[in-house]
Amino acid sequence: MTNQQKITDSPIDFAEKIINDVKNSKEDGVLKCVQCGMCTSTCPAARHSDYNPREIIERVLEGDISIIEDDNIWNCFYCYTCHSVCPVGNSVCEVNQILKQIAIENNVGYDKLYEYLGFADSYFTAAIGAIPERFFQDIDRDVPGWWEFRQNLEEIRKELDLNPPLMPSEEVIDEVSKILTITGFKQKIEKIRATEEAVK
Amino acid sequence: MKHVPTDDLLLFRSCLVSVEYPGVEASTKFVFDKLGVDYAISEKQTCCTGLGHYSDVFNQIDTTAIGARNFKIAKELNRPNLVMMCATCYAINKKSVKLLNKKDDLRNHINQLFDENGLSHLKYEKDDLKPTENIFHVVDILYAKKDEIKNHVKYDLSGYKIATHHGCHYCKVHYEDTIGGVRDPNIMDEIIEECGCSTIGWYDHKRTTCGTGFRQRYSNPDLSFTATADKMNAIDDEDVDILVHLCPNCHIQFDRYQHLIAQREGRNFRAIHLNIAQFIALAMGGDFDKVIGVKAHTVPVDSVIKDLKEVEK
Repeated sequence: MTNQQKITDSPIDFAEKIINDVKNSKEDGVLKCVQCGMCTSTCPAARHSDYNPREIIERVLEGDISIIEDDNIWNCFYCYTCHSVCPVGNSVCEVNQILKQIAIENNVGYDKLYEYLGFADSYFTAAIGAIPERFFQDIDRDVPGWWEFRQNLEEIRKELDLNPPLMPSEEVIDEVSKILTITGFKQKIEKIRATEEAVK
Repeated sequence: MKHVPTDDLLLFRSCLVSVEYPGVEASTKFVFDKLGVDYAISEKQTCCTGLGHYSDVFNQIDTTAIGARNFKIAKELNRPNLVMMCATCYAINKKSVKLLNKKDDLRNHINQLFDENGLSHLKYEKDDLKPTENIFHVVDILYAKKDEIKNHVKYDLSGYKIATHHGCHYCKVHYEDTIGGVRDPNIMDEIIEECGCSTIGWYDHKRTTCGTGFRQRYSNPDLSFTATADKMNAIDDEDVDILVHLCPNCHIQFDRYQHLIAQREGRNFRAIHLNIAQFIALAMGGDFDKVIGVKAHTVPVDSVIKDLKEVEK
Protein backbone atom coordinates (compact mmCIF):
# COMPACT_ATOMS: atom_id res chain seq x y z
CA MET A 1 0.00 0.00 0.00
CA THR A 2 1.13 3.49 -0.69
CA ASN A 3 -1.14 4.99 1.91
CA GLN A 4 1.38 5.11 4.74
CA GLN A 5 1.85 8.83 4.55
CA LYS A 6 3.84 10.91 6.96
CA ILE A 7 2.81 14.42 7.91
CA THR A 8 5.89 15.72 6.06
CA ASP A 9 4.94 14.00 2.80
CA SER A 10 3.57 16.13 0.03
CA PRO A 11 1.33 13.78 -1.90
CA ILE A 12 -0.16 16.72 -3.74
CA ASP A 13 3.14 17.35 -5.55
CA PHE A 14 2.22 14.69 -8.11
CA ALA A 15 -1.19 16.27 -8.75
CA GLU A 16 0.45 19.66 -9.07
CA LYS A 17 2.93 18.34 -11.60
CA ILE A 18 -0.05 17.21 -13.67
CA ILE A 19 -1.87 20.52 -13.19
CA ASN A 20 1.20 22.40 -14.41
CA ASP A 21 1.65 20.17 -17.47
CA VAL A 22 1.31 21.97 -20.79
CA LYS A 23 -1.37 19.51 -21.90
CA ASN A 24 -3.69 20.16 -18.96
CA SER A 25 -6.69 22.26 -19.99
CA LYS A 26 -8.69 21.78 -16.77
CA GLU A 27 -6.69 24.01 -14.42
CA ASP A 28 -6.95 22.41 -10.96
CA GLY A 29 -9.79 20.06 -11.95
CA VAL A 30 -7.90 17.05 -10.65
CA LEU A 31 -7.97 18.51 -7.11
CA LYS A 32 -11.75 18.87 -7.29
CA CYS A 33 -12.37 15.16 -7.86
CA VAL A 34 -14.96 13.83 -5.39
CA GLN A 35 -14.47 10.19 -6.46
CA CYS A 36 -18.09 9.97 -7.64
CA GLY A 37 -17.20 7.41 -10.30
CA MET A 38 -19.13 8.99 -13.18
CA CYS A 39 -15.98 8.59 -15.29
CA THR A 40 -15.72 4.87 -14.61
CA SER A 41 -19.43 4.27 -15.13
CA THR A 42 -19.30 5.72 -18.67
CA CYS A 43 -15.84 4.45 -19.70
CA PRO A 44 -15.58 1.85 -22.48
CA ALA A 45 -12.18 0.68 -21.23
CA ALA A 46 -13.56 0.20 -17.71
CA ARG A 47 -16.48 -1.75 -19.19
CA HIS A 48 -14.20 -4.17 -21.00
CA SER A 49 -10.89 -4.22 -19.07
CA ASP A 50 -9.33 -3.51 -15.67
CA TYR A 51 -8.84 0.17 -16.52
CA ASN A 52 -10.46 2.36 -13.86
CA PRO A 53 -10.42 6.14 -14.37
CA ARG A 54 -11.78 6.94 -10.88
CA GLU A 55 -8.95 4.94 -9.36
CA ILE A 56 -6.39 6.76 -11.53
CA ILE A 57 -7.36 10.08 -9.94
CA GLU A 58 -7.42 8.47 -6.47
CA ARG A 59 -3.85 7.26 -6.97
CA VAL A 60 -2.72 10.61 -8.39
CA LEU A 61 -4.15 12.38 -5.34
CA GLU A 62 -2.38 9.91 -3.08
CA GLY A 63 0.89 10.78 -4.80
CA ASP A 64 1.25 7.21 -6.03
CA ILE A 65 3.75 7.73 -8.83
CA SER A 66 3.98 3.98 -9.48
CA ILE A 67 0.86 4.43 -11.58
CA ILE A 68 3.06 5.35 -14.55
CA GLU A 69 4.25 1.74 -14.58
CA ASP A 70 0.73 0.30 -14.47
CA ASP A 71 -0.06 -1.36 -17.80
CA ASN A 72 -3.76 -0.57 -17.38
CA ILE A 73 -3.24 3.11 -18.16
CA TRP A 74 -2.55 2.08 -21.76
CA ASN A 75 -6.13 0.80 -22.15
CA CYS A 76 -7.70 4.27 -22.39
CA PHE A 77 -9.51 4.84 -25.73
CA TYR A 78 -9.01 8.61 -25.62
CA CYS A 79 -12.75 8.90 -26.28
CA TYR A 80 -13.05 11.80 -23.80
CA THR A 81 -16.34 10.52 -22.42
CA CYS A 82 -15.05 10.99 -18.85
CA HIS A 83 -13.84 14.46 -19.80
CA SER A 84 -17.30 15.40 -21.13
CA VAL A 85 -19.34 14.17 -18.15
CA CYS A 86 -17.21 15.01 -15.09
CA PRO A 87 -19.39 17.03 -12.68
CA VAL A 88 -16.41 19.00 -11.32
CA GLY A 89 -14.72 19.65 -14.64
CA ASN A 90 -11.83 17.23 -14.33
CA SER A 91 -10.54 15.18 -17.26
CA VAL A 92 -9.15 11.73 -16.55
CA CYS A 93 -8.52 11.39 -20.28
CA GLU A 94 -6.09 14.31 -20.20
CA VAL A 95 -4.56 13.19 -16.90
CA ASN A 96 -3.99 9.79 -18.49
CA GLN A 97 -2.20 11.36 -21.47
CA ILE A 98 -0.05 13.40 -19.09
CA LEU A 99 0.79 10.28 -17.06
CA LYS A 100 2.00 8.58 -20.23
CA GLN A 101 4.18 11.55 -21.13
CA ILE A 102 5.63 11.46 -17.59
CA ALA A 103 6.22 7.72 -18.08
CA ILE A 104 8.04 8.33 -21.38
CA GLU A 105 10.17 11.09 -19.84
CA ASN A 106 11.17 8.53 -17.21
CA ASN A 107 12.03 5.87 -19.81
CA VAL A 108 8.91 3.87 -18.92
CA GLY A 109 6.45 2.37 -21.41
CA TYR A 110 8.75 2.53 -24.44
CA ASP A 111 7.57 -0.94 -25.46
CA LYS A 112 4.11 0.56 -26.01
CA LEU A 113 5.54 3.00 -28.55
CA TYR A 114 7.64 0.72 -30.75
CA GLU A 115 4.76 -0.17 -33.06
CA TYR A 116 4.11 3.52 -33.75
CA LEU A 117 7.65 4.57 -34.64
CA GLY A 118 6.69 4.06 -38.29
CA PHE A 119 4.26 6.95 -37.94
CA ALA A 120 7.05 9.10 -36.48
CA ASP A 121 9.37 8.14 -39.34
CA SER A 122 6.91 8.93 -42.13
CA TYR A 123 6.07 12.26 -40.52
CA PHE A 124 9.71 13.18 -39.97
CA THR A 125 11.10 12.08 -43.32
CA ALA A 126 8.12 12.70 -45.65
CA ALA A 127 5.76 15.04 -43.72
CA ILE A 128 3.03 12.43 -44.06
CA GLY A 129 0.85 10.96 -41.33
CA ALA A 130 0.46 7.27 -42.17
CA ILE A 131 -0.69 4.01 -40.61
CA PRO A 132 2.61 2.26 -39.77
CA GLU A 133 3.49 -0.38 -42.36
CA ARG A 134 4.05 -2.98 -39.68
CA PHE A 135 0.27 -3.16 -39.27
CA PHE A 136 -0.39 -3.80 -42.98
CA GLN A 137 -0.16 -7.58 -42.64
CA ASP A 138 -2.82 -7.59 -39.88
CA ILE A 139 -5.07 -5.26 -41.86
CA ASP A 140 -4.69 -7.40 -44.97
CA ARG A 141 -5.64 -10.50 -42.96
CA ASP A 142 -8.63 -8.83 -41.28
CA VAL A 143 -9.97 -6.72 -44.14
CA PRO A 144 -10.54 -8.64 -47.38
CA GLY A 145 -9.82 -6.54 -50.45
CA TRP A 146 -7.98 -3.79 -48.55
CA TRP A 147 -4.59 -4.40 -50.13
CA GLU A 148 -6.01 -4.41 -53.68
CA PHE A 149 -7.91 -1.23 -52.84
CA ARG A 150 -4.71 0.47 -51.70
CA GLN A 151 -3.00 -0.64 -54.93
CA ASN A 152 -5.81 1.02 -56.91
CA LEU A 153 -5.96 4.16 -54.77
CA GLU A 154 -4.52 6.47 -57.40
CA GLU A 155 -7.05 5.24 -59.99
CA ILE A 156 -9.95 5.62 -57.53
CA ARG A 157 -8.83 9.15 -56.63
CA LYS A 158 -8.53 10.02 -60.31
CA GLU A 159 -12.13 8.93 -60.88
CA LEU A 160 -13.10 11.27 -58.00
CA ASP A 161 -11.25 14.12 -59.73
CA LEU A 162 -8.67 14.17 -56.92
CA ASN A 163 -4.91 14.38 -57.45
CA PRO A 164 -2.72 11.38 -56.61
CA PRO A 165 -2.10 11.08 -52.84
CA LEU A 166 0.07 14.09 -52.13
CA MET A 167 3.82 13.80 -51.73
CA PRO A 168 4.77 16.99 -49.90
CA SER A 169 7.42 19.19 -51.53
CA GLU A 170 11.05 19.23 -50.34
CA GLU A 171 10.42 22.66 -48.85
CA VAL A 172 7.53 21.36 -46.72
CA ILE A 173 9.48 18.28 -45.63
CA ASP A 174 12.50 20.39 -44.65
CA GLU A 175 10.37 22.72 -42.56
CA VAL A 176 8.51 19.89 -40.81
CA SER A 177 11.65 17.89 -40.04
CA LYS A 178 13.33 21.04 -38.74
CA ILE A 179 10.38 21.68 -36.41
CA LEU A 180 10.47 18.10 -35.16
CA THR A 181 14.19 18.38 -34.54
CA ILE A 182 14.04 21.56 -32.47
CA THR A 183 11.15 20.37 -30.31
CA GLY A 184 13.26 17.39 -29.25
CA PHE A 185 11.05 14.90 -31.11
CA LYS A 186 13.85 13.48 -33.29
CA GLN A 187 16.12 12.85 -30.33
CA LYS A 188 13.30 11.21 -28.37
CA ILE A 189 12.43 8.88 -31.25
CA GLU A 190 16.08 7.90 -31.71
CA LYS A 191 16.34 7.11 -28.00
CA ILE A 192 13.21 4.95 -28.06
CA ARG A 193 14.37 3.15 -31.20
CA ALA A 194 17.75 2.40 -29.65
CA THR A 195 16.04 0.59 -26.77
CA GLU A 196 13.95 -1.45 -29.22
CA GLU A 197 17.06 -2.49 -31.11
CA ALA A 198 18.75 -3.41 -27.83
CA VAL A 199 15.79 -5.69 -27.01
CA LYS A 200 16.13 -7.41 -30.40
CA MET B 1 -26.09 29.28 -31.90
CA LYS B 2 -22.51 30.43 -32.37
CA HIS B 3 -21.60 32.08 -35.66
CA VAL B 4 -20.30 29.63 -38.25
CA PRO B 5 -18.56 31.16 -41.29
CA THR B 6 -19.17 29.80 -44.78
CA ASP B 7 -16.46 31.95 -46.43
CA ASP B 8 -12.66 32.06 -46.23
CA LEU B 9 -12.44 28.39 -45.29
CA LEU B 10 -9.30 26.29 -45.51
CA LEU B 11 -10.50 22.72 -46.05
CA PHE B 12 -7.94 20.82 -43.96
CA ARG B 13 -6.67 17.70 -45.73
CA SER B 14 -6.95 14.53 -43.65
CA CYS B 15 -4.37 11.76 -44.01
CA LEU B 16 -6.98 9.03 -43.41
CA VAL B 17 -9.56 10.54 -45.75
CA SER B 18 -6.88 10.85 -48.46
CA VAL B 19 -5.83 7.22 -48.45
CA GLU B 20 -8.79 5.31 -46.99
CA TYR B 21 -12.00 7.12 -48.00
CA PRO B 22 -11.15 9.74 -50.65
CA GLY B 23 -14.86 9.91 -51.49
CA VAL B 24 -15.34 11.84 -48.26
CA GLU B 25 -13.19 14.64 -49.70
CA ALA B 26 -14.88 14.49 -53.11
CA SER B 27 -18.32 14.49 -51.45
CA THR B 28 -17.43 17.39 -49.16
CA LYS B 29 -16.33 19.46 -52.17
CA PHE B 30 -19.46 18.43 -54.14
CA VAL B 31 -21.78 19.49 -51.30
CA PHE B 32 -19.84 22.68 -50.50
CA ASP B 33 -20.00 23.66 -54.19
CA LYS B 34 -23.77 23.07 -54.29
CA LEU B 35 -24.23 25.16 -51.14
CA GLY B 36 -21.94 27.97 -52.27
CA VAL B 37 -19.37 27.50 -49.51
CA ASP B 38 -16.08 29.33 -50.17
CA TYR B 39 -13.13 27.02 -49.49
CA ALA B 40 -9.65 26.15 -50.72
CA ILE B 41 -7.09 23.42 -50.05
CA SER B 42 -3.38 23.96 -49.42
CA GLU B 43 -0.70 21.52 -50.51
CA LYS B 44 1.58 22.97 -47.86
CA GLN B 45 -0.63 21.92 -44.96
CA THR B 46 0.47 18.73 -43.21
CA CYS B 47 -1.27 16.09 -41.08
CA CYS B 48 -2.51 17.16 -37.61
CA THR B 49 -0.26 14.38 -36.16
CA GLY B 50 -3.41 12.39 -35.20
CA LEU B 51 -2.34 8.77 -34.77
CA GLY B 52 1.12 9.91 -33.63
CA HIS B 53 -0.39 12.21 -31.02
CA TYR B 54 -2.87 9.68 -29.67
CA SER B 55 -0.37 6.84 -29.66
CA ASP B 56 1.64 9.13 -27.33
CA VAL B 57 4.60 9.32 -29.73
CA PHE B 58 4.06 13.04 -30.37
CA ASN B 59 3.92 15.11 -27.20
CA GLN B 60 1.88 18.31 -26.93
CA ILE B 61 4.78 20.57 -27.92
CA ASP B 62 5.54 18.51 -31.07
CA THR B 63 1.87 18.59 -32.10
CA THR B 64 1.32 22.25 -31.28
CA ALA B 65 4.48 23.39 -33.11
CA ILE B 66 3.27 21.51 -36.20
CA GLY B 67 -0.14 23.12 -35.63
CA ALA B 68 1.39 26.61 -35.48
CA ARG B 69 2.89 26.01 -38.93
CA ASN B 70 -0.48 24.94 -40.35
CA PHE B 71 -2.24 27.93 -38.73
CA LYS B 72 0.29 30.26 -40.36
CA ILE B 73 -0.48 28.72 -43.76
CA ALA B 74 -4.19 29.43 -43.22
CA LYS B 75 -3.50 33.02 -42.17
CA GLU B 76 -1.24 33.66 -45.17
CA LEU B 77 -3.94 32.46 -47.55
CA ASN B 78 -6.39 34.81 -45.81
CA ARG B 79 -8.39 31.72 -44.96
CA PRO B 80 -8.30 31.78 -41.16
CA ASN B 81 -11.30 29.44 -40.85
CA LEU B 82 -10.04 25.87 -40.71
CA VAL B 83 -12.63 23.23 -41.48
CA MET B 84 -11.87 19.59 -40.79
CA MET B 85 -13.22 16.38 -42.37
CA CYS B 86 -11.83 14.35 -39.48
CA ALA B 87 -12.93 14.68 -35.84
CA THR B 88 -9.40 14.03 -34.62
CA CYS B 89 -7.95 16.86 -36.74
CA TYR B 90 -10.75 19.06 -35.38
CA ALA B 91 -10.02 18.28 -31.72
CA ILE B 92 -6.24 18.44 -32.05
CA ASN B 93 -6.21 21.76 -33.91
CA LYS B 94 -8.75 23.36 -31.60
CA LYS B 95 -6.73 22.32 -28.58
CA SER B 96 -3.50 23.70 -30.06
CA VAL B 97 -5.15 27.06 -30.75
CA LYS B 98 -6.52 27.16 -27.20
CA LEU B 99 -3.13 26.36 -25.70
CA LEU B 100 -1.23 28.80 -27.92
CA ASN B 101 -3.59 31.62 -26.92
CA LYS B 102 -3.85 30.78 -23.26
CA LYS B 103 -0.46 29.43 -22.24
CA ASP B 104 2.09 32.20 -22.69
CA ASP B 105 4.99 29.95 -21.68
CA LEU B 106 4.16 27.41 -24.38
CA ARG B 107 3.66 30.04 -27.10
CA ASN B 108 6.87 31.85 -26.14
CA HIS B 109 8.80 28.58 -26.05
CA ILE B 110 7.66 27.53 -29.52
CA ASN B 111 8.20 31.04 -30.94
CA GLN B 112 11.68 31.15 -29.45
CA LEU B 113 12.53 27.79 -31.04
CA PHE B 114 11.26 29.16 -34.37
CA ASP B 115 13.27 32.37 -33.94
CA GLU B 116 16.50 30.59 -33.08
CA ASN B 117 16.26 28.18 -35.99
CA GLY B 118 15.42 30.29 -38.99
CA LEU B 119 11.66 29.69 -38.78
CA SER B 120 10.58 33.14 -37.58
CA HIS B 121 7.99 33.27 -40.36
CA LEU B 122 6.04 30.56 -38.51
CA LYS B 123 5.71 32.46 -35.22
CA TYR B 124 2.24 32.45 -33.68
CA GLU B 125 0.96 35.67 -32.11
CA LYS B 126 -1.57 35.40 -29.29
CA ASP B 127 -5.12 35.24 -30.72
CA ASP B 128 -3.92 34.82 -34.32
CA LEU B 129 -6.79 32.33 -34.44
CA LYS B 130 -9.65 31.82 -32.00
CA PRO B 131 -10.72 28.29 -31.07
CA THR B 132 -14.48 28.91 -31.28
CA GLU B 133 -14.46 31.41 -34.13
CA ASN B 134 -11.94 29.79 -36.48
CA ILE B 135 -11.84 26.02 -35.90
CA PHE B 136 -14.70 23.94 -37.35
CA HIS B 137 -15.75 20.53 -38.51
CA VAL B 138 -17.51 20.05 -41.87
CA VAL B 139 -20.74 19.26 -39.96
CA ASP B 140 -20.71 22.77 -38.47
CA ILE B 141 -20.66 24.27 -41.97
CA LEU B 142 -23.38 21.90 -43.19
CA TYR B 143 -25.47 22.82 -40.17
CA ALA B 144 -25.04 26.54 -40.87
CA LYS B 145 -26.26 25.92 -44.44
CA LYS B 146 -28.89 23.34 -43.58
CA ASP B 147 -31.87 25.39 -44.69
CA GLU B 148 -30.47 25.40 -48.23
CA ILE B 149 -29.88 21.64 -48.43
CA LYS B 150 -33.46 20.82 -49.43
CA ASN B 151 -33.16 23.00 -52.56
CA HIS B 152 -30.54 20.61 -53.94
CA VAL B 153 -31.94 17.21 -52.94
CA LYS B 154 -32.41 14.94 -55.95
CA TYR B 155 -32.93 11.47 -54.49
CA ASP B 156 -35.38 10.31 -51.86
CA LEU B 157 -33.54 8.31 -49.18
CA SER B 158 -36.44 8.37 -46.73
CA GLY B 159 -37.16 4.67 -47.20
CA TYR B 160 -33.97 3.66 -45.40
CA LYS B 161 -33.55 3.18 -41.70
CA ILE B 162 -30.85 5.66 -40.74
CA ALA B 163 -28.85 6.05 -37.52
CA THR B 164 -26.04 8.46 -36.65
CA HIS B 165 -22.74 8.01 -34.85
CA HIS B 166 -21.31 11.32 -33.66
CA GLY B 167 -17.54 11.05 -33.32
CA CYS B 168 -16.18 11.48 -29.80
CA HIS B 169 -13.56 13.98 -30.91
CA TYR B 170 -16.23 16.19 -32.43
CA CYS B 171 -18.70 15.94 -29.53
CA LYS B 172 -16.84 15.36 -26.33
CA VAL B 173 -13.42 17.03 -26.44
CA HIS B 174 -14.44 20.67 -26.88
CA TYR B 175 -18.03 20.18 -25.73
CA GLU B 176 -18.59 23.92 -25.20
CA ASP B 177 -18.40 24.35 -28.99
CA THR B 178 -20.41 21.28 -30.00
CA ILE B 179 -23.61 22.04 -31.89
CA GLY B 180 -26.65 19.81 -31.41
CA GLY B 181 -25.92 18.19 -28.05
CA VAL B 182 -23.12 16.27 -26.34
CA ARG B 183 -24.79 13.61 -24.18
CA ASP B 184 -27.59 13.25 -26.70
CA PRO B 185 -25.85 14.32 -29.92
CA ASN B 186 -28.14 15.29 -32.78
CA ILE B 187 -26.33 17.61 -35.18
CA MET B 188 -26.22 14.98 -37.92
CA ASP B 189 -29.81 13.87 -37.26
CA GLU B 190 -30.92 17.45 -37.86
CA ILE B 191 -28.89 17.77 -41.07
CA ILE B 192 -30.22 14.45 -42.39
CA GLU B 193 -33.80 15.63 -41.78
CA GLU B 194 -33.15 18.44 -44.27
CA CYS B 195 -32.83 15.73 -46.94
CA GLY B 196 -36.42 14.71 -46.24
CA CYS B 197 -35.37 11.71 -44.14
CA SER B 198 -35.83 10.89 -40.50
CA THR B 199 -33.28 9.02 -38.39
CA ILE B 200 -34.06 6.55 -35.62
CA GLY B 201 -32.84 9.21 -33.17
CA TRP B 202 -31.63 7.85 -29.84
CA TYR B 203 -30.50 4.23 -29.59
CA ASP B 204 -28.61 2.27 -26.98
CA HIS B 205 -24.92 3.28 -27.09
CA LYS B 206 -25.59 6.23 -29.43
CA ARG B 207 -22.93 8.29 -27.70
CA THR B 208 -20.42 5.46 -27.23
CA THR B 209 -17.01 5.42 -28.93
CA CYS B 210 -16.57 3.56 -32.23
CA GLY B 211 -13.91 1.55 -30.42
CA THR B 212 -10.90 2.68 -32.46
CA GLY B 213 -9.15 3.99 -29.37
CA PHE B 214 -6.16 4.75 -31.61
CA ARG B 215 -3.59 2.26 -30.26
CA GLN B 216 -6.34 -0.14 -29.19
CA ARG B 217 -7.33 -1.06 -32.76
CA TYR B 218 -3.78 -1.97 -33.74
CA SER B 219 -2.11 -3.06 -30.51
CA ASN B 220 -5.07 -4.29 -28.48
CA PRO B 221 -7.65 -5.47 -31.04
CA ASP B 222 -9.65 -7.65 -28.63
CA LEU B 223 -10.42 -4.66 -26.43
CA SER B 224 -11.08 -2.46 -29.45
CA PHE B 225 -13.46 -4.84 -31.23
CA THR B 226 -15.30 -5.72 -28.01
CA ALA B 227 -16.09 -2.03 -27.53
CA THR B 228 -17.16 -1.70 -31.18
CA ALA B 229 -19.44 -4.71 -30.76
CA ASP B 230 -21.49 -2.78 -28.16
CA LYS B 231 -22.33 -0.29 -30.86
CA MET B 232 -22.77 -2.74 -33.73
CA ASN B 233 -25.10 -4.95 -31.71
CA ALA B 234 -27.20 -1.89 -30.82
CA ILE B 235 -27.31 -0.80 -34.49
CA ASP B 236 -28.30 -4.28 -35.60
CA ASP B 237 -30.97 -4.54 -32.87
CA GLU B 238 -32.55 -1.48 -34.50
CA ASP B 239 -32.25 -3.08 -37.97
CA VAL B 240 -30.41 -0.04 -39.31
CA ASP B 241 -29.67 0.22 -43.06
CA ILE B 242 -27.30 3.21 -43.05
CA LEU B 243 -25.02 4.38 -40.24
CA VAL B 244 -23.89 7.97 -40.83
CA HIS B 245 -20.73 9.30 -39.19
CA LEU B 246 -18.29 12.20 -39.38
CA CYS B 247 -14.79 10.86 -38.82
CA PRO B 248 -12.54 8.59 -40.91
CA ASN B 249 -11.31 6.80 -37.78
CA CYS B 250 -14.89 5.71 -36.99
CA HIS B 251 -15.45 4.98 -40.69
CA ILE B 252 -12.51 2.55 -40.80
CA GLN B 253 -13.59 0.88 -37.57
CA PHE B 254 -17.17 0.28 -38.75
CA ASP B 255 -16.72 -0.33 -42.46
CA ARG B 256 -13.45 -2.24 -42.56
CA TYR B 257 -14.09 -4.43 -39.50
CA GLN B 258 -17.87 -4.99 -39.58
CA HIS B 259 -17.64 -8.52 -40.98
CA LEU B 260 -14.92 -9.49 -38.48
CA ILE B 261 -16.94 -8.20 -35.53
CA ALA B 262 -20.05 -9.93 -36.91
CA GLN B 263 -18.13 -13.22 -36.89
CA ARG B 264 -16.96 -12.60 -33.33
CA GLU B 265 -20.52 -11.85 -32.23
CA GLY B 266 -22.08 -14.65 -34.29
CA ARG B 267 -24.41 -12.19 -35.99
CA ASN B 268 -24.92 -10.88 -39.49
CA PHE B 269 -24.45 -7.13 -39.44
CA ARG B 270 -25.74 -5.52 -42.61
CA ALA B 271 -25.57 -1.71 -42.20
CA ILE B 272 -23.59 0.30 -44.72
CA HIS B 273 -21.40 3.18 -43.61
CA LEU B 274 -21.41 6.69 -44.97
CA ASN B 275 -19.79 9.91 -43.88
CA ILE B 276 -22.33 12.75 -43.48
CA ALA B 277 -20.85 14.50 -46.56
CA GLN B 278 -21.25 11.30 -48.58
CA PHE B 279 -24.86 10.95 -47.40
CA ILE B 280 -25.75 14.52 -48.37
CA ALA B 281 -23.84 14.20 -51.67
CA LEU B 282 -25.78 11.01 -52.44
CA ALA B 283 -29.09 12.76 -51.70
CA MET B 284 -27.96 15.61 -53.97
CA GLY B 285 -27.34 13.22 -56.86
CA GLY B 286 -23.60 12.57 -56.50
CA ASP B 287 -22.35 9.69 -58.65
CA PHE B 288 -21.34 6.49 -56.80
CA ASP B 289 -17.87 6.37 -58.39
CA LYS B 290 -17.21 9.99 -59.30
CA VAL B 291 -18.35 11.61 -56.03
CA ILE B 292 -19.20 9.14 -53.26
CA GLY B 293 -16.16 6.93 -53.87
CA VAL B 294 -17.90 3.63 -53.11
CA LYS B 295 -14.96 1.57 -54.42
CA ALA B 296 -13.10 2.48 -51.22
CA HIS B 297 -15.79 0.87 -49.05
CA THR B 298 -15.44 -2.64 -47.64
CA VAL B 299 -19.17 -3.09 -46.94
CA PRO B 300 -20.61 -2.55 -50.44
CA VAL B 301 -22.79 0.55 -50.53
CA ASP B 302 -25.01 -1.14 -53.15
CA SER B 303 -25.74 -4.00 -50.75
CA VAL B 304 -28.33 -1.62 -49.26
CA ILE B 305 -28.80 1.18 -51.80
CA LYS B 306 -29.79 -0.80 -54.86
CA ASP B 307 -31.71 1.82 -56.75
CA LEU B 308 -32.39 5.48 -56.28
CA LYS B 309 -35.71 7.19 -56.82
CA GLU B 310 -35.97 10.87 -57.48
CA VAL B 311 -37.90 13.07 -55.07
CA GLU B 312 -41.31 14.23 -56.22
CA LYS B 313 -41.14 17.94 -56.89
